[in-house]
Amino acid sequence: MTRYKYTTVEEMPPLAFSLESTRKIPTGSWRHVRPVYKNKTSPCEVGCPAGEKIPVYFDLVRQKKYEEAWYKILEDNPLPGVTGRVCYHPCEGQCNRKPYDEAVAIHNIERFVADKNLRNKKLPQVSETPKSEKVAVIGSGPAGLSCAYQLSRKGYRTVIFEADHEPGGMLRYGIPEYRLPKKILDKEIADIESLGVEIRMDSRIGGNVAWSELEKFDAVFVAVGAMRSRKMDVAGEGLKGVYTGVDFLRDLSTGIVPKVGRQVLVVGGGNTAIDAARSAVRLGKKATILYRRTRAEMPAVPEEIEEAEKEGVRFEFLVAPAKITGVKGKASKIELIKMKLGEPDASGRRRPVPVKGSNYTMAADTIISAIGEEPDLSFLPYSFLKKGVRLFVDDDYSTGVPGIFAGGDAATNPNGTVVNAIRAGKDAAKSIDEFLGWRTQSNGLSHDVVHPDDVNTFYFPHEKRVKVPRIAVEKSKASFTEVNRTLTEGQALDEAERCFTCGTCLHCDVCLTFCPDVAISKDKDGEYVIDYDHCKGCGICVNECPREAMELVPEGAHEVEEEAVQA
Amino acid sequence: MINRMSKSNGNGGLLHPSVDRVLVIEGTHAASYAVKLARVQVIAAYPITPQTSVVEKLSEIVSGGELQAKFIKVESEHSAMACCIGSSISGARAFTATSSQGLALMHELLHWAAGSRLPIVMVNVNRAMAPPWSIYVDHNDSLSQRDTGWLQFYAESNQEVMDTVLQAYKIAETVSLPVMINLDAFVLSHTSEPVAIPKQEVVDEFLPARKALFKVDTADPKAFGALIGPDAYMEMRYKLFQAMEDARAVIRDVDLEFSAKFGRSYGGLVEEYFTEDAEVVLLTSATAVSTARIAVDELRSMGFPVGLMKLRAFRPFPVDEIRALAQRVKKIGVMDRNISFGATGIIYQETKAVLYNAPVRPSLFGFIAGLGGRDITPETIKEIFSYLLNHDEPERETIWISLKSDSAGQEEPPIPEGPGGRMKSEGV
Amino acid sequence: MGQIKYQLPPEEILAPGHFACPGCGGTLTMRYMLKALGRKVIVVIPACCWSVIDGPVPYSAAGVPVFHTAFETAASTASGVKAGLEAQGDHETTVVAFAGDGGTFDIGFQALSGAAERNEDFIYICYDNEAYMNTGIQRSSATPFGAWTTTTPAESPKAEKKKNIVEVLAAHRIPYLATASVAYPDDMIAKIQRAKDISGFRFIHVFSPCPPGWKFEPEDSIKISRMAIESRVFPLLEVFDGVDYRLSRQPAGTPVRDYIRMQGRFRHLREDQIEEIQKYVDEDWERLSVRLASTKGAEHLKKAAPQKEKESSRTKRAATKVRSRQK
Repeated sequence: MTRYKYTTVEEMPPLAFSLESTRKIPTGSWRHVRPVYKNKTSPCEVGCPAGEKIPVYFDLVRQKKYEEAWYKILEDNPLPGVTGRVCYHPCEGQCNRKPYDEAVAIHNIERFVADKNLRNKKLPQVSETPKSEKVAVIGSGPAGLSCAYQLSRKGYRTVIFEADHEPGGMLRYGIPEYRLPKKILDKEIADIESLGVEIRMDSRIGGNVAWSELEKFDAVFVAVGAMRSRKMDVAGEGLKGVYTGVDFLRDLSTGIVPKVGRQVLVVGGGNTAIDAARSAVRLGKKATILYRRTRAEMPAVPEEIEEAEKEGVRFEFLVAPAKITGVKGKASKIELIKMKLGEPDASGRRRPVPVKGSNYTMAADTIISAIGEEPDLSFLPYSFLKKGVRLFVDDDYSTGVPGIFAGGDAATNPNGTVVNAIRAGKDAAKSIDEFLGWRTQSNGLSHDVVHPDDVNTFYFPHEKRVKVPRIAVEKSKASFTEVNRTLTEGQALDEAERCFTCGTCLHCDVCLTFCPDVAISKDKDGEYVIDYDHCKGCGICVNECPREAMELVPEGAHEVEEEAVQA
Repeated sequence: MINRMSKSNGNGGLLHPSVDRVLVIEGTHAASYAVKLARVQVIAAYPITPQTSVVEKLSEIVSGGELQAKFIKVESEHSAMACCIGSSISGARAFTATSSQGLALMHELLHWAAGSRLPIVMVNVNRAMAPPWSIYVDHNDSLSQRDTGWLQFYAESNQEVMDTVLQAYKIAETVSLPVMINLDAFVLSHTSEPVAIPKQEVVDEFLPARKALFKVDTADPKAFGALIGPDAYMEMRYKLFQAMEDARAVIRDVDLEFSAKFGRSYGGLVEEYFTEDAEVVLLTSATAVSTARIAVDELRSMGFPVGLMKLRAFRPFPVDEIRALAQRVKKIGVMDRNISFGATGIIYQETKAVLYNAPVRPSLFGFIAGLGGRDITPETIKEIFSYLLNHDEPERETIWISLKSDSAGQEEPPIPEGPGGRMKSEGV
Repeated sequence: MGQIKYQLPPEEILAPGHFACPGCGGTLTMRYMLKALGRKVIVVIPACCWSVIDGPVPYSAAGVPVFHTAFETAASTASGVKAGLEAQGDHETTVVAFAGDGGTFDIGFQALSGAAERNEDFIYICYDNEAYMNTGIQRSSATPFGAWTTTTPAESPKAEKKKNIVEVLAAHRIPYLATASVAYPDDMIAKIQRAKDISGFRFIHVFSPCPPGWKFEPEDSIKISRMAIESRVFPLLEVFDGVDYRLSRQPAGTPVRDYIRMQGRFRHLREDQIEEIQKYVDEDWERLSVRLASTKGAEHLKKAAPQKEKESSRTKRAATKVRSRQK
């Protein structure tokens, strides 16, 4: 920039007028802080165990690029149709919109995207070159599917050994049709298979398939899940008419209608208990859930509890079974004891304490015990380290036996949810990849998480969260038809618009709009360019950014950072 | 009057082929008709006695459709000048008229107009400054604007008012400086005289439409008058100074061209009357010149070697003309219709300054007369000549004429005796 | 629905490299004004921050012709420019007087009133930063009650209320009068464009925060502007023909305290003084509400008689035609 300089009076104009634009004046030298575009992590991404890039695929949804959105989800989760229905969506709990008005219905959008692609068989191509190593996965539940899928994307040949007749594990046998239709599950498993993942059915390791069979593989991922109901440890548990929740739901999934009486008592407060109770309702029965704590402590997803209530499921809190008595080997009565809440236990919830002498008895011919599930690890040949009933794994899902990894409900770190199993599969795949000598790139999540206060909520007028469409209660009670419907496109688009898209630049032009120095422009690709020759560093762009996708750095710090990168 | 005109200024007479018609009109109306003939595009003015008839006549002319101009009836003289500045920078030909207090109110913007090099033409009816209130003539109002960068002309007759307005646009648009034409309150402004109104087509030939050298133009956007540093401000002032210097030749040339077209000449910056063989010359301006002509005629007929120099342009100041006169005469008297407190009459000061570096320096006398409308009669002039003829040197720097005083230190000058007889004097 | 976004005319006429302080509201006003009006504009700037901001000779940031004029002559010089253009047959170019609050509320008030009364055909934009900022933060009649300036020190802050320039201009019965804020650029641009389509005297009063003068961080310029609007300190409105009041944005009615407490110029204020300011703001709002209600009332009447409404809009169109023909 050469600034204009007069030399002689003769060459000057007759009066003082301008000859040039101020563009020649480098006012950027006034600056002591510099704005930079820097995407940050949204709390929902952090909240999502599967690590879905929620802000990114939301933006694709807003642009009606549903296929791209689907691909974006598939990077982290091969089962969006499943999680879009059954996930407990911890992402929404972290949503910055929650303290503002209501959290964005993220999982409903996820389901919408998955359902939009129900007929889409064109999975994203795996970019990596095929690798010679083979990996075996035991179990085709969400952890196993996720791991096999990710490994396959990394170029490994992957075989899943499934003991059951059909794949899916608890997804198929533990979640009722009205919550997760089998055709959705089948479709997504088929998609995974289409990537080259082989699923061998009726192949029980330690049963009809010898453990030694696995020696042909370079690594093994154990993902057998927790398919066994925990015992109530009360007398009469073996009587006829006393079911486990797992068995009850499995029967229903395979088309067997269990024989149940008019009054079904379900013991437990988790999702299995709710599923069992709501299934019982669909069989035309009256269902009552007995839970030893209060509603606030119920581990089931709150929406599920509400749905159950709508459908007429009754709840009795602060009560636990003491014993079951029967006639001719068939349950007829249950003795219950009242509880009160004591000190918090390890889970942070207040421990239920029996109230002495509060026992009472009620008639009961059908009792479903759903107080939790545990894995069956009896097939394992070596003495694997365990913690409680589960297989102990390290943070990288390694078991201590070289080449053998484990995850999902069978291992120690999950909390028994589909999405955590998916995450375990994904992360274990990464560990296996590393174990096999390949370097896996990190998912690039920044440690800067956007907090509610960072969002410039001015730009987001209050809007109500979408009301998820569902079939009428009368209808839902009477059949196993899926209760919740997929959002309509209009609903999905409206709901996606509610997303703050924390930390990810959407090119909304707010920065450009408010720059007093005309120092922000867009290049031919639509990316923002800051003209540091003229930016005075006022910081309006950063302060006004609706979603904290910019920041101010001290002048000079930027160069230091760049040098470090170059070094 | 006719006699005077035929004998002196406006020597083209009323029968020149350029004349469309002859009207007997006031000086203010002469200005108004000149504005019409100059095809002024924007007029902005605020009324003040005795300028009002300029704008009243112009209102009639514009509303009657005789002149296609925008007439902005502003709320002050300050805004009048601002409007002129705005319209002039847009490329239009602009005009305003004012007087006295109104001119003083414009002061800041007179600088703005000149600094912006805008060829605005303004008629100022010279009126004394208040307080105390006076609506009558003296020249302190316009002379107070001496350093604003405006050209200043002082008119002697209504014809000269008209002709100078026409000349003024030509000069202003040539040198890119604004021009002020002054006429004496009432003595000219409200006195009717026959005025030859030239034909429009001849005026159009003489004064074509303005072609602005620079203007606010969306096709060539520029910012005018922004902040400037010490590295260039001085050069900008030098340019303005130089333009004023250049204006001397332009004034002379324009007067010659005017004379060729219209048959009337005003001599450029000055007009001389019986100075060829004069020993004593009176230098004065405006309507007092007419009166002085009568006194000179009379004294000449009595054989006194007197003459007269009419100061037509005060800015630029006629340096060469005065120095040339100084070569030939023994004494010069300056009659100022103004006073610079703490100094002397302003034209006297300027004349003296011009002569300081002249090769020949005659005796110089400064007289103050006619303030606030006090009559200047042939007797007043003769009194001054009497003083000049009887003194080799002035007795004091400032000699107040016709002052009603017992002890103003003004001794009655002796009545001089010339070759043709003794001058009559009514006394001082 | 969704995020508030601004669709501004894309062309950038204002150049970077101008001399505005970081975070200058007056400069955003210029930028939006140019976006709204395009390049067929002549801007008249009296003494104000923008006499400096546009750049020293030989530079200019505005990208359109600018004439710098004396402090008190924005309105009169603009009148002259417009008359000059008209006289030369240019009926297209928009003339804008672009002045600060000093040149508008105070020293330029006479010329402003004169031009408004004569219904001169140009747009007057006052970027109001509530004090004489260019000379170093001295009080103007636009400075709000209680504010510190260098001539109203914290020990005796400004004891008088801000002059209500909107009411003053409304009393001139000018065809179009609007308030705008740099925090609502779409609103501002729409108003300036509306102004462009109306002939006669148009006045836009723009709330333009000044970080060094109000003592706040430059990054908060827009936030503070927004708070001024939302707290009803500066309502966004339009007034047609001096009588027909329309509210452009329903303010949330947030506490004035939030707005006051963000600015160092109010740091010395006690809580009770802030309450006093709140009271003033509430009273002003009530007065404005009465005006707005009467306008609404008129609209109700029109709705009740659709026949008449048609007629009146026809009359209005006819009036506009007459005005444009007078150009």
